[in-house]
Amino acid sequence: MMIYLSTVIVLVSVAALVGLGLNFQWGVAGLVNFGVVGFVALGAYTAALSVSHVGWLSAMVLAAAVSAAASTILAFLSIRLADDYLAIVTIGFGEVINILLLNEDWLTGGALGIANIPRPLSSIIPAAQYDTILPLLAMLLVALTFAALETLVQSPLGRALRAVRDDPTVVSALGKPVLVLRIKAFAVGGAVMGIAGSLHAFYLTYIDPGQFTSIITAYAFMAVILGGRGSNLGLLIGACTIMSLIEATRFLKDTLSIVDGVQLAALRLGLVGLGIILLLLLRPQGLLAEPHKRIRDFFPDSEETH
Amino acid sequence: MLGQLIINGLVSGLLLALPALALTLVFGILKFPNFAVGATLTFGGYAAWVMNHQVGAPLFVAAAVAATIAAGLAIVCDRLIFERLRDAGSIALLVASLGLSLVLENICRFVFGNSTRNFDVEIARPIRWNGLRINHEQIVTAVTVILCVIILQLLLSASPLGRAMRATADNPALAAVRGIERNTVARITWALSGVLLALSGVLAGLDRAVDPLLGWSYQLPVFAAAILGGLGSPIGAVFGALVIGLAEELSTLVLPTNYRQIVSFAIILLLLLMRTRGLFGAKAVRK
Repeated sequence: MMIYLSTVIVLVSVAALVGLGLNFQWGVAGLVNFGVVGFVALGAYTAALSVSHVGWLSAMVLAAAVSAAASTILAFLSIRLADDYLAIVTIGFGEVINILLLNEDWLTGGALGIANIPRPLSSIIPAAQYDTILPLLAMLLVALTFAALETLVQSPLGRALRAVRDDPTVVSALGKPVLVLRIKAFAVGGAVMGIAGSLHAFYLTYIDPGQFTSIITAYAFMAVILGGRGSNLGLLIGACTIMSLIEATRFLKDTLSIVDGVQLAALRLGLVGLGIILLLLLRPQGLLAEPHKRIRDFFPDSEETH
Repeated sequence: MLGQLIINGLVSGLLLALPALALTLVFGILKFPNFAVGATLTFGGYAAWVMNHQVGAPLFVAAAVAATIAAGLAIVCDRLIFERLRDAGSIALLVASLGLSLVLENICRFVFGNSTRNFDVEIARPIRWNGLRINHEQIVTAVTVILCVIILQLLLSASPLGRAMRATADNPALAAVRGIERNTVARITWALSGVLLALSGVLAGLDRAVDPLLGWSYQLPVFAAAILGGLGSPIGAVFGALVIGLAEELSTLVLPTNYRQIVSFAIILLLLLMRTRGLFGAKAVRK
């Protein structure tokens, strides 16, 4: 049971990190990224390939850097495009990463993937306690990322990004570099997804292309929509809710004997799709709407006017 | 060798033409890229397979039934989802279409499982001509697609319905002033896209086999074709589909076959870098 709980906590943490990355790109800056899974996979493989050479912390930083670099390049190529085109380019990026992972055997191990990835601190922590320590590390990572992103969102950069999302024309008329702002948002989001990928690799200790399917992208979108676009706190709640519900469907298999493994997977994904549609229709602002600043927040003495 | 590749490329390009048309027609009216094209194609393929294999209808009857079902499905989805989100902006619409794609694909997976399904058709010997090999399926595909494109072109250019569709694509407000209901036109467009996608599902199922990821594997080339033609331009979509088909097939001369899909992605990127409006973009709305 302890092992099961720790599995769920790590899975939720990975999903929360991915969601935080997407929330920064899409929720805060308004950039649709349908290729989330590509950046997560890039992070996971970077971490898996480098960890035995540079140690886990550097591997994690490297994973973030590689994903951020890929995001920057992709953003630079395509971000001046309208939302529809950006969505198409990113979905293509996700597919291309998957094809590369499957076919560049010399580096990625092809369909077999990479096994025996060393876990962080495994020399210090005894194996018996590892299942309690790793979830704590994962939650710490989520907390740190949350704090960092929340600071960014509150900073002038975050304000500028929200303005770019709401009306890029006004922002560029005010002399802000819209393109640079968007690239920054995309790179930061990509870095967070890379970190999520490295946590995924460290936890499972083996990775293969089959783990990185569009389901990761779907969960992330669902988490952002459920939590409320632009709200990091909402995102954490959204990610926890979704992953718990998804995990709960596991027990369906025990109660409904007619449902086999393939059907269970289909049921989960189908419900996620249905959830995305229903949320967009019924509660587009999500659980927690993005916090709006009022005049009083800046000038406590002023009369409240809208 | 080269001749064979060109023939294969043209036929697989024709296969892309129908879904690319479906994508571009809906984009023209509603201004959002429908990410559910692939899943609707899969759905149509399964509908035809059930009629053909389970019920025992001949393939063309099965295809007609599948086209009707898919058209109905598209209209229902429009009523239930897209019509209500029309004012929420194109991002909400495209995210919703991704959600719909997940739902449709997984309904198929839930009911039919992951295994591949083949249509009951007699296996015919390929025709050999001057050293070229032409499959029976390739002829069926080419004839069906060319007929569909001609009918669709006539419909768009010479019928009151086509005029209404082009008017709505061009300027919905002005069209509404002239008494053209946007919602009616949108629904008819959805129905058309459903028909096109179901037919391409049948053709794609003939070409390989029907499985839950059938449509997904066409998603990227279809988008590449529609973008290449300039989103919203029907004639451009057909042209773009032929170019993508040829490019993918000819790329096997220099690239391993596993990398075919990358060609579509590269073409999308290159095109968007150099010419955001696509090859026919300037003529997206033909007057």
